[in-house]
Amino acid sequence: MKTYLGIDVGSISTNLVLIDEKNQVLSSLYLRTEGNPIDAIQRGLKELKKQMPREAEIAGVATTGSARYLAGVITGADLVKNEITAHAKGASFFVPEARTVIEIGGQDSKIIILENGVAVDFAMNLICAAGTGSFLDAQAFRLKLPVEQFGELALKSKNPTNIGSRCTVFAESDMIHKQQIGHTTEDIVAGLCQGLARNFLNNVARGKNIKPPIVFQGGVSENLGMRKAFEKALKEKIIVPPHNTVIGAFGVALLVKEQNPQKIKFLGFEISDKNIKCTSFQCQGCPNRCEVIEARIENKVVARWGDRCGKWSNLNVNN
Amino acid sequence: MKKPIITFARWGNYTIAFKTLFEQLGLEVIPPEKTNSETVAAGAKIAPEMFCFPMKVTLGNYLPALERGANTIFMIQNVGGSCRQRYYGVIQEKVLKDAGHDITLLDFRATPRDIYRKIKEITGASFWQILKTVRFSLRELRLIEKIEKMAQFYRPREIKKGTTDRTLQESLLKIEELKEEKAFPKLKKEVLKSFFGIPIEKNKKTPKVALIGEIYTVCDPAINFDVESKLGKEGIEVYREMDLTYHIKKLIFPWKDWIIQRKINPYLGSTVGGHGRDAIYEMLHYVEKGFDGIIHLLPFGCMPEVTIRPILEKIHLESGIPFLSLSLDEQVAEAGINTRLEAFVDVVKNHHEYKIS
Repeated sequence: MKTYLGIDVGSISTNLVLIDEKNQVLSSLYLRTEGNPIDAIQRGLKELKKQMPREAEIAGVATTGSARYLAGVITGADLVKNEITAHAKGASFFVPEARTVIEIGGQDSKIIILENGVAVDFAMNLICAAGTGSFLDAQAFRLKLPVEQFGELALKSKNPTNIGSRCTVFAESDMIHKQQIGHTTEDIVAGLCQGLARNFLNNVARGKNIKPPIVFQGGVSENLGMRKAFEKALKEKIIVPPHNTVIGAFGVALLVKEQNPQKIKFLGFEISDKNIKCTSFQCQGCPNRCEVIEARIENKVVARWGDRCGKWSNLNVNN
Repeated sequence: MKKPIITFARWGNYTIAFKTLFEQLGLEVIPPEKTNSETVAAGAKIAPEMFCFPMKVTLGNYLPALERGANTIFMIQNVGGSCRQRYYGVIQEKVLKDAGHDITLLDFRATPRDIYRKIKEITGASFWQILKTVRFSLRELRLIEKIEKMAQFYRPREIKKGTTDRTLQESLLKIEELKEEKAFPKLKKEVLKSFFGIPIEKNKKTPKVALIGEIYTVCDPAINFDVESKLGKEGIEVYREMDLTYHIKKLIFPWKDWIIQRKINPYLGSTVGGHGRDAIYEMLHYVEKGFDGIIHLLPFGCMPEVTIRPILEKIHLESGIPFLSLSLDEQVAEAGINTRLEAFVDVVKNHHEYKIS
């Protein structure tokens, strides 16, 4: 059986999705990256090997997310794609008529405008990480709540309090202030969700033509409070597709399946037991001073990238 | 007065022509350091935080040259039109003196008469000599701009990836090494021939993307993370009207501004400084020409470009042309820019295919 593997390595989570020829998800994994993408990929592959059906064979691998090049090199990917195209693909598979995709992940948030199933416009957060997964994580920790319960708690609130959301630091100090004057945790949590939805719409989605159907995906879309906050702010129904947390990996798996690679470059599941190291150095060859990154598997250089002139990336990597 | 050793503001590939200009006048020149992360960081460290990005960059470029003995800096006022650029000279002089550099900063307005007088004062060169030198460096400048434009055409069509960029770099190096105007025609022929020699797919139909925005950012590949080359390698033909010749022409023939204003009247009634009006004009022009995308580049803190950005977004919504605005400064990471560019390339290709079908 031919299967296709999509790997999405983001700042907070590393997701793997395996699909078959009929676009059915055979297995999906959601792991924490924990600041070590190489280790996360290795753990993921090991876990996937256990889960996947015996007769499955990998016919294509694709990577996306902020560590897509690294992931592509160490797994031998056939396709390395940016996360915006991957998410657009995933969303339009489940909701073909979707016009707007809101994706909020660990450290970045994006809005994608679709027309006939393809991205025609997009925006990503530039300088502000308010409302992304890591911020919610930190606030849940501060309130001594498991982040999974955050959303349910928000739904219980009757009178969400107003929390300034121009920036994470202000939101946090505002939250502390609201705690000190005696608001209930539910109201604060609900207020925070609304503030973050507002922040997203004002900063990331500014000037974009938001039209229904609206799809909400990424790690934060698990949060029921955020779903409700977006519904309230946009006055539209919010659709959360299946596999919402791993949909980037799913999208990129679909893309590599469409591409149908003839000669597979996948390095095999053995990679999870190998010693993979990445080092970087600054090339002193010219005043550009590029940061060159070198990946080694079992002490053998497999790839170099990051240079502008191609001096290192074109170098014979066998020595 | 001590003997002046000149350095000047670096600006992409045009730096070569500036260097020729000063050298041919018989001045001793130490060219500014190429822009890299170190010079940018050094410049940003001593510059006022809220000032616009090009000032920090050029400041960082002077520093290594000053260490190597340069003591006089040339800075042209008002290159980009009426914006904060006109204070660069004054501020840079103060910042450098505060940092303990004993320098003379020659700040002059960009009118031919003013430049001529200043040059004559320093070099004592005769009228003819100055005229000849200016002509020589203008010829170099024209050639540099020409091969930049040729590279934009060749990159998406080249058969072996990277050939065009290599040819461009080699040609620039040759132009830089040129010492005499006599040898210029031969060199020009040689350079153009090396471009014609690049194997390409002649009839390839490529999506077209235009770069608009602030002149310094748009023209200097070291500032804009080599966006032209990155797009070119993805098979996209890049267009850019903004270059130094465009600007000089506008200084000499002011009626271009009237034409621009007439066209952009529905959107903006007056100037906003810098090349703000030009960006709107260009975007409208490219929409009419059926381009597949617009990239708007601006340095962080550029007032004219920030002012007109909402207008550009409006044109984008009205016309449906893919649009990406990138604000660049020392805090921006290349990885973030790359992700946006890659996604934009996909959007542009979708748009292009949709238009064909």
